[in-house]
Parts: sequence; C-alpha cells; structure tokens
Amino acid sequence: MSVLSPVQPSNQSGNQPDQPDPTSETSQEIPVSRPATPPATKRRSGSTGRFGFLRPAYWLPLAVLLVALGMLWSVTANDSPYLLPPLAAVGEALAANPLFYLTNAWATLAVALVGLAIGFVGSFILAVLVSELPVARRAIMPIAVVLSVTPLVAIAPALVVAFGFGPEPKLIVTALICFFPILINVSTGLRSVSPAVLQVFTTLHASRLEMLWHVRIPSALPYLFTALRVVFPLSIIGAVVAELSAPGAAEGLGTVISVASSNNRLAVVYAAIFCLAIMGSLLLLIITAIEDRVLHWHESRVAAKS
Amino acid sequence: MTLTSPSVTTADSISIRGAVKIYGSGASQHVALQNVDVDIKRGQFVSIIGPSGCGKSTLLRLIAGLEDADEGIAEVFGVTAEQACAAKMIGLVPQAPALLPWKDVLGNVSMPAKINRRADKLRRRIHGHLERPAPDMIDLLHKAGLADAVHKLPAQLSGGMQQRAAIVRAFGVQPDVLLMDEPFSALDEFTRESIQEQLLDIWDENKTTVVFVTHSVSEAVRLSDKVLVMSARPGRITASVDITLPRPRSQAMLKSAEFHHFEDVIRDHLQTAWQENPMTGSTPIAAGAAS
Ligand SMILES: Nc1ncnc2c1ncn2[C@@H]1O[C@H](COP(=O)(O)OP(=O)(O)O)[C@@H](O)[C@H]1O
Ligand SMILES: [Mg+2]
Repeated sequence: MSVLSPVQPSNQSGNQPDQPDPTSETSQEIPVSRPATPPATKRRSGSTGRFGFLRPAYWLPLAVLLVALGMLWSVTANDSPYLLPPLAAVGEALAANPLFYLTNAWATLAVALVGLAIGFVGSFILAVLVSELPVARRAIMPIAVVLSVTPLVAIAPALVVAFGFGPEPKLIVTALICFFPILINVSTGLRSVSPAVLQVFTTLHASRLEMLWHVRIPSALPYLFTALRVVFPLSIIGAVVAELSAPGAAEGLGTVISVASSNNRLAVVYAAIFCLAIMGSLLLLIITAIEDRVLHWHESRVAAKS
Repeated sequence: MTLTSPSVTTADSISIRGAVKIYGSGASQHVALQNVDVDIKRGQFVSIIGPSGCGKSTLLRLIAGLEDADEGIAEVFGVTAEQACAAKMIGLVPQAPALLPWKDVLGNVSMPAKINRRADKLRRRIHGHLERPAPDMIDLLHKAGLADAVHKLPAQLSGGMQQRAAIVRAFGVQPDVLLMDEPFSALDEFTRESIQEQLLDIWDENKTTVVFVTHSVSEAVRLSDKVLVMSARPGRITASVDITLPRPRSQAMLKSAEFHHFEDVIRDHLQTAWQENPMTGSTPIAAGAAS
C-alpha cells in the first residue's frame, strides 16, 4: 500500500488534475495516500448539485454490480455450501441475535480505538522529537521505515504467549500497526513548511515551540489525516487478528469468527465479517467527515466551496 | 546579550561593510557577494536591482540575519542582524506570499504579534528605535485594499491580494526595516501598479526603512529614494543612483521626462554591468524572470 511512503504535500505541488477524488465512493474503500482532495471540477461534472447522487447514472452501476455479485454468491453457495453460506442464512444469523453481534462488535471496536489512541499519542510525540532533532531522525527513521513494511500483526501469537488472554496483546498489536504510518506521515508533515514561511518566522525570532505550535503542527495536519484514514480501518484489523490468535478470549468479533469456524457455522463467520466491514466503513466515514471540518482551509476544499 | 555593541558607523543606519559570501567550496565555489558596502539611512526607501543570480536575495538574507557573512559586518541600526530579529525590528516580505493557509487574512496579519512577545522590551532598549503604538490591523487591511478579504482564507484570494496581506503582515510589527524580495514579480502589470501605490501610501504614514529587491527598472525608480545596481560573478554593487523625484509620485509622473531620465541612467548601469559579464546568461532586465 502506498500509505507507508511519506506523502506529497499537495498544497505546494499545486493542482494535480488526475488525483482520485477521496470524497467519491471508490476512494473511501481504498484510502489514498494524499492529504488533499482534488480539484472541485471533478465532483461538479459528475453530478448536478447536492442531490446528484439520486440520478440513476450515479447509483445504477454500483447497484448492478452488487446484484451480479449477489447472484454469483448464491450460485456458489448452492453448488458448494462449504465454501459460502447462503446469503439468507447470513441475514438470519444477524437477525436472530443482533445484540450478540453488537456487543462483540463493541468489544472489538473498543480494543481498536484504545490501541489506536495509544499508538497515536506515542507516534505523534516521537514524530515531533524526530522532526526537531536531526540526530533522533537519523537514528529512528530507518528503523521506522523497516518496521512500517513489516506485517506487525504477525507478532500477535507471540504476544498472547507473553501476556495471556487479557487485553494487553490486542492493544499492543493495534497500537503498533497504527504507530508507524502516523510516525512517518506526521514527521514528513512537520517538515513540509515552505522555506519562505520559515524565513518570515525566523526573522520574527519565533521560538521552536512557537514554530511548532503555530506553523509546523498545522502544516502536518493534512499528512496526519492521510495517515488516520489508513490507520482507522487498520486498527480493526489489528484487533481482530489479535483476537483470532487468542482463541480463549471472551469477547470480540475475532473470537466469534474463530469459534464459529471451528464449529462449521459459516453463516455466523460471514455475519461477523459483515459487521467488521460495516465498522470499518463507518470509521472511515467518520474520519473523513472530521477531516473535512478540520481541513476546511485546505486549498482544494476552499476551491470546492467557492 | 548587549544591545549596544560597538557600531562601525552611526546607529541610525543599516550598514554593511566589506561583506563577502561564498557558497560551496573548491571547484564549485561561488562568490555570491564580494566586498559589498551598503549604507541605508533610517526612513529611506532603497531598491536593489540586478540580473538574476547576482546576489540580491543573498544580500537581503544577510540583513535579515538569515545568513551570516563569511567576511565583513552587517549591522541594522547599531545592532547585529540577529539582535534586530530578536527585537522584531525586521519585517520580511518574501517573493511568495508565504501566508498560513489555515488562518484567514486577519489571523495571518495578526500572527507576528503573537510570536516572540519579549521583543517589545528588547526593542525599547535599542538606541534610536522609535516607539510606535501597535497598528490597528483592520485599519491597515482597509488601507491595503483588503477590506473585503479580512475574513477570507488565503486560498480564496488572488495572488495580488495574498501579497498585499503579506505586506500588511510585515508592517504589522512596526518593524524598523522592511525587507522585500521581489514581492511583485509574480503579479500582472495592473495589480503591480496599484499595489505599488498602496505600498507607498502605507510607507508614507509609517516612514519605515524599506529595502526592496526588484528586477523592474520602472518599479525601482517609482518607489525608491536610492537604487543600488548589482552585477553578477562575483556579486557586487556597481552603482548607486539617488532618485530625486518629488513625492508623492503620481501615476502621471511615470510618463514624465525626469522619470524616463532615471530609468535610462539605471538601464545604462545595468547594461555596462552586463557587458562586462555576459556570462551570467541572462539579460539585465529579464521581465517576468524569477530568480
Ligand atoms: N543556499 C545556496 N547555496 C548555494 N548557492 C547559492 C545559495 N543561495 C544562492 N546561491 C547562489 O548565489 C548566487 C546569488 O543568488 P541570489 O542571491 O539568490 O541571487 P538573486 O536573488 O540576485 O537572483 C546565485 O548564483 C545562486 O546560485
Ligand atoms: Mg532572488
């Protein structure tokens, strides 16, 4: 994934007409490693005003594809019931016990968010340190880059051995996989300030702290949100993998999946996966909405409004 | 830190003595400034003109304390450039507006006041510094033609409006000297002339010292009390022309014979400098060429 490489500051590189539009559905599924939304013209041409998405041209392709995929699923499920459960069975599993899925989804979500919060605080502080101290940067960044391309979820089983079935291994895994994308993006963002701005603030004799607070951290926000759009869904993956590796754990969708698959209850497995997909999408939606508000000043968003 | 260090000349001027700045070393060594002497009296509007790469920005950075000279002395009203920065005596307008995109215009121009608050105390201790009340930023924005843009974001403004905001920001700290590095080079002719007029208006009221880098001859003549002509390889000052045109300088004066006389004098100096050094690879007055 392109997430792991530092992003281009799009407010300096100017307009990039063929950037994908993060506000369109496609890129909500595939977080793109760019802090900015692209020129507004794209959105305008695709729809007429606010309710453009009601036009068949807008929703029909997706609807057709969904129906086709559903039919393919049903055919497969009929032919080989051990490969896929019938869709109806998945729906029934969900409808029969919604509270069961809700409590387990909440358990997974809580782990994901707490782990994410730990990873966020740690990586942000380290990013500031690394951007302020060249020595720290030279020491830490190579390691960070290597670790960011390492599938850190793989240490989940080892952590279960070390910490048992409590929340620790789950939180550690989630925090770790969120750590490096944030560290790399934010440390890049903190140093993305243009030389001219630096010169203006240097002639005002701004202290390092003032520089950080008034200039560097706001400049890093677009980079931070790029990382968050990746890391929010990633945190759920971390939590689920950790639950899968701790089969005795009491709660969580990962546990549900591992228990149900050992009992051959495919419908429950897919119902849980469905819940995970919804959760990931909701998180992505929330972070995108927050980003829209916080980065309202960003060049591309300003252009979209006026 | 003593703010009354021994000064080479009077404390009431910006003075650079024998400044040498060399970039790189060995074969790739490049003499950006060679033995540059500059004297700018308080309240003067001085322009620096010359071909691209002759060291204009380097000279400005020297005064701004953004760069140290390899040899020679740079003093800003009796103190070192660094001390001048610490006391917020220097306002900088770079070539790009360099506004903070997340702050509206008012937020941007008010920013310097929030930074380095100790400066006011330091400033009062500096000999010759004129104590002025903090300006009303809204009022200043109105004078700069930004009345409608007070609460707009930089991305919502044209290049000319952004540059106006950058100028207001620099005036906002009531600096003893305003350093401007080709601030209008990216603007179209119309915008340029109106913004020049507003700059002169604001300057007239505040009587700040201004050092203005440009590569437009008419801009230099219109704005300045004195024009320093620079030449490249090595970067040095080849002529100093006093512009004795009366002020205020109206639009009509731009067509007068005296105005053209000064333009011709400066063009001749640039021409001579260039003929001595055709290797610089650029014409003396490269219109629109950014350095
Ligand atoms: N940081 C730097 N490192 C190396 N060379 C530089 C640097 N800054 C400027 N120079 C060189 O010094 C010369 C003068 O540059 P500058 O002052 O920017 O010229 P001007 O502003 O008149 O166009 C140029 O030849 C440029 O290449
Ligand atoms: Mg320059």
